Amino acid sequence: MAGPIDQRLLKRAGATRKYLVASVVVGLLTACLIVVQAGLLARGISHVFTTRSLPASWLGLLVGLAAVFASRAILVWLNETLAHRSAANVKSQLRREVLSARLSRPRESSSSSASMINLVTSGLDALDGYFAKYLPQLGLAGTVPFLVGAAILLTDWQSAVIVAFTLPLIPLFMALIGYTTQAATAKSYAVADRLANHFADLIEGLPTLQAFARARAQRRGVELGEVQYRRATMRVLYVSFLSAFALELLATLSVAVIAVTVGFRLVYGDIGFEAALFVLVLAPEAFLPVRQVGVHFHDSADGVAAADAAFEFIDTDAGAVGLGVAPVPHELSVRFENVSYTYPGQNERALDGFDVAISPGDVVAVRGSSGGGKSTALALLLGFIQPGAGRICVGGRDLRELDIDSWRRHIAWVAQDPGMLNGTVAHNVLLGHPGASMADVEAALVDAGADFDGTKSVGDDGEGLSAGERRRVALARALLRIRLGGARLLVLDEPTAGLDSSTESAAIRAVRRSGAGALIVTHRLAVAAAADRVVELGVGR
Amino acid sequence: MTGRTTIKLLAQLINADPRGRLRFSLAVLLASLASGASVALLGLAAWLISRAAEMPPVLYLQAAAAGVRFFGISRGVFRYVERLVGHDVALRMQSALRIRVYDKLSATTLIGRRRGDLLTRVVADVSAVQDLIVRVAIPTLSASLVIVGTTVMLARFSLSSALILLATAALAGVVLPLFAQRASRAADLAAVPARGDLADGVRELSRTSGDLVAYGAEEAVLANLVGIDDTLRQQEARAAWVRGVASAGQVLAAGTAVVAALAIGGSAVVAGDLHPRLLAVIVLTPLALHEVLGAFTGAAQTWTRSRAALARIGDILDADPIGAGDVVASKDPAPGLELEGVSVGWPGGEAVQQVLSFQVRPGERVALVGPSGVGKTTVAATAMGLIPVLAGTMRRADSVGFLAQDAHIFTTTVAENVRIGAKDATDEQVRVALQRAGLDLDPDRAIGESGTTLSGGERRRLALARVLVQDRELLILDEPTEHLDAETARAMMADLWAATAGRAVLVITHDPDLIEQCDRVVRLRGHAARGSHRQPSP
Repeated sequence: MAGPIDQRLLKRAGATRKYLVASVVVGLLTACLIVVQAGLLARGISHVFTTRSLPASWLGLLVGLAAVFASRAILVWLNETLAHRSAANVKSQLRREVLSARLSRPRESSSSSASMINLVTSGLDALDGYFAKYLPQLGLAGTVPFLVGAAILLTDWQSAVIVAFTLPLIPLFMALIGYTTQAATAKSYAVADRLANHFADLIEGLPTLQAFARARAQRRGVELGEVQYRRATMRVLYVSFLSAFALELLATLSVAVIAVTVGFRLVYGDIGFEAALFVLVLAPEAFLPVRQVGVHFHDSADGVAAADAAFEFIDTDAGAVGLGVAPVPHELSVRFENVSYTYPGQNERALDGFDVAISPGDVVAVRGSSGGGKSTALALLLGFIQPGAGRICVGGRDLRELDIDSWRRHIAWVAQDPGMLNGTVAHNVLLGHPGASMADVEAALVDAGADFDGTKSVGDDGEGLSAGERRRVALARALLRIRLGGARLLVLDEPTAGLDSSTESAAIRAVRRSGAGALIVTHRLAVAAAADRVVELGVGR
Repeated sequence: MTGRTTIKLLAQLINADPRGRLRFSLAVLLASLASGASVALLGLAAWLISRAAEMPPVLYLQAAAAGVRFFGISRGVFRYVERLVGHDVALRMQSALRIRVYDKLSATTLIGRRRGDLLTRVVADVSAVQDLIVRVAIPTLSASLVIVGTTVMLARFSLSSALILLATAALAGVVLPLFAQRASRAADLAAVPARGDLADGVRELSRTSGDLVAYGAEEAVLANLVGIDDTLRQQEARAAWVRGVASAGQVLAAGTAVVAALAIGGSAVVAGDLHPRLLAVIVLTPLALHEVLGAFTGAAQTWTRSRAALARIGDILDADPIGAGDVVASKDPAPGLELEGVSVGWPGGEAVQQVLSFQVRPGERVALVGPSGVGKTTVAATAMGLIPVLAGTMRRADSVGFLAQDAHIFTTTVAENVRIGAKDATDEQVRVALQRAGLDLDPDRAIGESGTTLSGGERRRLALARVLVQDRELLILDEPTEHLDAETARAMMADLWAATAGRAVLVITHDPDLIEQCDRVVRLRGHAARGSHRQPSP
């Protein structure tokens, strides 16, 4: 983390800026109230102490003091409400942007998806702590010490010198400790983290251990791991609590020093009793917000980490299309012209100089070894990713120039592992053409070789449907899109093992009858036989 | 789980360590000293200044000055040591709980049961015990001690003022945090469905993003999720409002204590009931004490959250074990696998398959097929001896190997992953097993986090090497080709058949290609009424 406030959060989330201003205003008002409160307390106590009688304005003083506390209470409430509102705004904004970013990269791997889901559902809640605890304290820390310090300075400059000298030492020492222990902390943190995951790894692997009769025997491993984990964690904590120690020590010690020096100066009449009390009440208040910032530093770190994770996810280069505006040409011939693609972070090309031409109504099968880039070719055609070299032309125009949404309306795609929405089979088939009637849905299901109807329910991640049934639902979805949605090209990715090829061939024939073309990735002879042409891809890899 | 059972579990965990009580008490004591030091600092400083204003000989102030300095230093020191001791106790308790949970889960059969995210959730749930100790037990116990101590001290000077302080402390430290916790809990509970909807929606979006984008449905799905987010916001706003009111209430309570102390103390001084020197003490001490109470608000929130997590752990610890846990040796060894009139089902549940008779002889490959949910995995669990047969007789070979489709790959080296199958395997045996499984990987290579990631095919082959590292007479394969692309699946099965020649092999599968490669097929038929039979969840 570079500074006390995350720059990206400040720049990208407008609610953060507004809130920062509000919290500074609240901080200024709070500081004024604290000074008034200390003044009233010092006056009341010193009057009674020196005269042994109540001042004439005693009731007014008590009421004034009560009013100060009441105003502070209102400010606390206001601050909490504002903090929440800002956190909620930022969270909503980031959620929306993360989800949009995810949709702009449909080929994202499942591992990064897991962290994305975590981020959107609960990870961003860490921003609540950032806004509700850390930022308000930061606002107070940036205002209260200065105003309170000024009030002390006007009353007793010697005490103000002590405050002015020690207060900056706090962040300095914290930074110094943080800096000198950084390497050691990072190292032991990494060890502790690895050991922490050891238990999680064993628990997740329990069914596997049981299959090999090793689960009970691993108990010893768990025990040993726990001892090591505790020792490693404690080593981290010895160091990481040091900065909090420095903070507490400096803050309380300087209050003690002020109290003692003021006390001795009172004896010599250097300072009046009322002024001494005023300084004593104010001194801790000057340090309190700074201490609180230290206490809530973890909330800050968690919140910033969540925001950073979100920004990183949002800012990852999509490499997808979506800038073109040209309408899709009427004549839907598709040409891959020497198209290559390399996945980010990889050295080898996933697709290398691919050429193929598909005339309208053509059924073309693509064969090739696993890892030859077949699915990559389809992703390029759908505009999920952009060719690294070469180009894809539709009716003679570069795909990049076309309005991608309307281009996708011309395609009926069946993925290798089709995604299933929660609901019913019909709900899933209707994705192909939302306005279709139930009769159309049922007809499409029959043509896709399904032996179940649209009312069958579909659970989380297609639960309740076997891989083969899922494939048929996806086929029905594609058929519906061709029949009613006006799609002109069926794009079939190769199914995973275990699916019979006869329904695929039947579906392809149905598509051919409708006059639409097809691009099919397959290694099965029966399916390839249904095509007009077979193109080999990635031969010799 | 009620609060009482949570506390009982915590007490058991503290006692799991012979010096646990001592360590815990020490942590509470140190925390009280740390908080007490800051209250004492201001109280004593107020006395020092008042005494100094009477201009006595400096000698009379030395002791008080030393006290103020002592409290000034000790607060930080006590806090630092307390944090270390407290975290140490919490970590020890977490270890004790982890071992208990491990014992419990390792003794109950997990293979073939619907476990959902139980295993991933349990790890996070167990860590709640740390929060309960560090953020709830130690702060609240120590703050209570400080409140009582301060009240007793002040009562010697002014009873009525001390009682008002106690009342406001109870209000700010107990009543308001509990009110806030209850109200935000109600709001949290109300938000549970919205949170669930959001999680489901996001997971669905993530899994189906390709289909959604290709079919132009992304805007609708996004709009739906934004709607859920809006609902969630409104619910969270309510909780924030309550928290704000509670925080404001705490400031008011502190104000009441201070104003009351000044009013009562002032009158008492005038009436001659209170030494003027003590007025500043009884007015300023409440100011410091109320600062200590902040600990309760966070504690109340953590308590709610952690208690729910520990309740789930309690359910796991209280559940009766199902089955044997580990695979057990065959009591009545026979070559291959023989089932005669066998009924299978989970203990405590009804039979999912009845009068099942089939054999798998050495050298034979038998496919076990049938619609989802018909009990194929239950048959496998029975064949491995993980759960007893409900009726009939089953005999099997002594050594059985199981290749699960979701076999876990541990975060360690390739060789150690293979040695799960045979812990004393030599380097040579590991190398041979990898070779037979068709996996060309350096045995010393680390996998996972710091190491490399494996593809789906490589993972399956590594799991296979684990099965092959020891000679096993009977092999049970659970959907060995699921989720692999056709070509990878074909190549792997070819290697698998070559490596298991002469063994009895039972294959659970849907894969028509794979069924064709088997010698015989055993078809399980579901009972009409049993389409949605649920296995007991752990």
